[in-house]
Amino acid sequence: MEFAFYLSAAVAILATIGVVTGLNPVHALLNLIVSLIAIAMVFFSLGAPFAGILEIIVYAGAIMVLFVFVVMMLNLGEVVVAQERAWLKPGVWVWPSIMAGVLLGLLIVTLLVDSTGFGISGETQTPQEVGTLLFGPYLVAVELAAFLLLAALVTATHVGRDEKRDDGRGEGVK
Amino acid sequence: MNLTLTHLFAILPLIIVGITVVVVMLSAAWRRHHFLNATLTVIGLNLALASVVWVYFAGQGAVAPDLASSAVGFPTLVTPLVMIDGYALFYMALILVAALACSTLANAYLEGLDEHREEFYLLLLSSTMGAMLLVSSIHMVSLFLGLELMSVALYGMAAYTFKRRVSLESGIKYMVLSAVASSFLLFGMALLYAAYGTLEFASLGLRLVFEDSVGIWTLIGVGMMVIGLGFKLSIVPFHMWTPDVYEGAPAPVSAFLATVSKVAVFAVLVRFMIMSPTFDTKLHTVIAVLAALSMIVGNLLALGQTNLKRLLGYSSIAHLGYLLSAVVALRAGVTDGGGELSFTGQLVLETTGIYLATYVLTTLGAFGVVTLVSSPSRGQDVAQLHHFRGLFWRRPYLAVILTFMMLSLAGIPMTAGFIGKFYVLALNMNEELWWLAGTVVLGSAIGLYYYLRVMVSLYLAEPGEIQRDAAHDWGQRSGGVMVLIAALLTLLFGIYPQPLIDLVQAASPVGY
Repeated sequence: MEFAFYLSAAVAILATIGVVTGLNPVHALLNLIVSLIAIAMVFFSLGAPFAGILEIIVYAGAIMVLFVFVVMMLNLGEVVVAQERAWLKPGVWVWPSIMAGVLLGLLIVTLLVDSTGFGISGETQTPQEVGTLLFGPYLVAVELAAFLLLAALVTATHVGRDEKRDDGRGEGVK
Repeated sequence: MNLTLTHLFAILPLIIVGITVVVVMLSAAWRRHHFLNATLTVIGLNLALASVVWVYFAGQGAVAPDLASSAVGFPTLVTPLVMIDGYALFYMALILVAALACSTLANAYLEGLDEHREEFYLLLLSSTMGAMLLVSSIHMVSLFLGLELMSVALYGMAAYTFKRRVSLESGIKYMVLSAVASSFLLFGMALLYAAYGTLEFASLGLRLVFEDSVGIWTLIGVGMMVIGLGFKLSIVPFHMWTPDVYEGAPAPVSAFLATVSKVAVFAVLVRFMIMSPTFDTKLHTVIAVLAALSMIVGNLLALGQTNLKRLLGYSSIAHLGYLLSAVVALRAGVTDGGGELSFTGQLVLETTGIYLATYVLTTLGAFGVVTLVSSPSRGQDVAQLHHFRGLFWRRPYLAVILTFMMLSLAGIPMTAGFIGKFYVLALNMNEELWWLAGTVVLGSAIGLYYYLRVMVSLYLAEPGEIQRDAAHDWGQRSGGVMVLIAALLTLLFGIYPQPLIDLVQAASPVGY
């Protein structure tokens, strides 16, 4: 059986191909979101619901929110609406919609019927077990991951700082 | 498994560097003061170095017997991820010494930068921390985490002087290629996990020993891990990024990249190969071919270089090739059946330890001179060979040191480099790897040519040449002192290597 795993995995691969071949960044972003949700489904079918939920909250959620913010901040006018209508041809949205529909159908079927054997067999890892592992044997890894994020943050702020708005003491010019 | 005081004592070096990161961060946030932050960094690294020595002797029960029995066990397994043993402590010490040298060099270099000099130390410390985690890792998770911690900080360091286009370019190049390498590494790990259900080196090794023939997926998994690590070690054919990144990055960062990152990745590679040996001949043939290619291609490409930093980059490719040929000797396994380390295993560990130590000393010295002569405020790093022309007549001591380092890189007797190369050749002979030994000799012969070319240009007097020079009081500055010490140690270990050999012999990995 195990079709839940294979179906979501196939959607994930197809959507990712759509990301890397897409020329329009917004379309690529939409494909990326489908891909991330499909990967979350893969995690669910593997018996790792915690990882799946995190995938949706952190990746799909954060990217969606950022995307929406950007759209809100770009002051949209009549021209843009017309342009959007011209861009949104069926050829563009049909394919991602089919993929998202497949995922939705899969989710509904799994929720409605007895879904034993739909995913890969094995123990289901609850958030509690993940937590005890992270703060038990992998505590050192968690602490060091914090340093990894700190290093990445310092790198990003140093390289990405705006030269013109900087008075040289690290304080932006008012 | 809970962390007790024993474990905390064992990872004291790691903790001290971590605390230093936080202290430097807070200090830089409170007041941007270059000298203060540099001093804090150096104090932290020195404390960590002292704690490495303390952990070693406390573990042996030599310093404080009462502590040794109660608090400090040695070797200590700190969670399934980290193993603090003689091997880890030796390489930690080597990494800390290299990091100290790089921070003194950076101090001299960053003086020429107008602003934002403090973050550099933060990144350097984080990267050092990642390297220290790498050499003590016995688990794929800590391997990957250590590698990322080391690399992510290095992206920022390479692109640190981002107003210079080459620096930014080198940072971005390193980031993109490093990410590709990491994904290879992760995929390899995933395949191994799928096949054996474990990520620990030791239990992975146990599964592999009981297999008659290694499955195809295992082989692909290990192969992908070799590709990932090969990228970081810049083994041919994964070496494309090396010269560009070395050239573009600030000179102290190039020194850090050539020493700390290479030492850490190589140490973990050897530990992985020893703890989970695959007796499949295919893998070892692949490694032998990669080693031979690195020696030949690295040396050949270095011939045409006119930039000293690029030249040192290609030379590091060749040196990693020599080192990798030592790993091939592991094909016969490292135990003699009774759980003891075989003579070959002993020799491999000794060779890698000594070669890496001598290579680090020499590279630090060479990059140290480049750093002292160049400064970011004067635009490009001064690394073209013609900038060094006639250096002897302006700065005789610096020129002599650079000459000596070139001799050591070439492996001339009386220098530390000779001892390392001697070990590699002896190991290859002992294992009857004749063609590999031949390649080492051939590579060294080609290498001698371009090392000599650098030396010759140092002594050519060229009137009317652009005067690019080190500061007049370079000998009194910390960077200058570091270069002098590196040169003296290279000479000392070249003449009397016994202390180094004793040190390496004491640094055996756990279980042996």
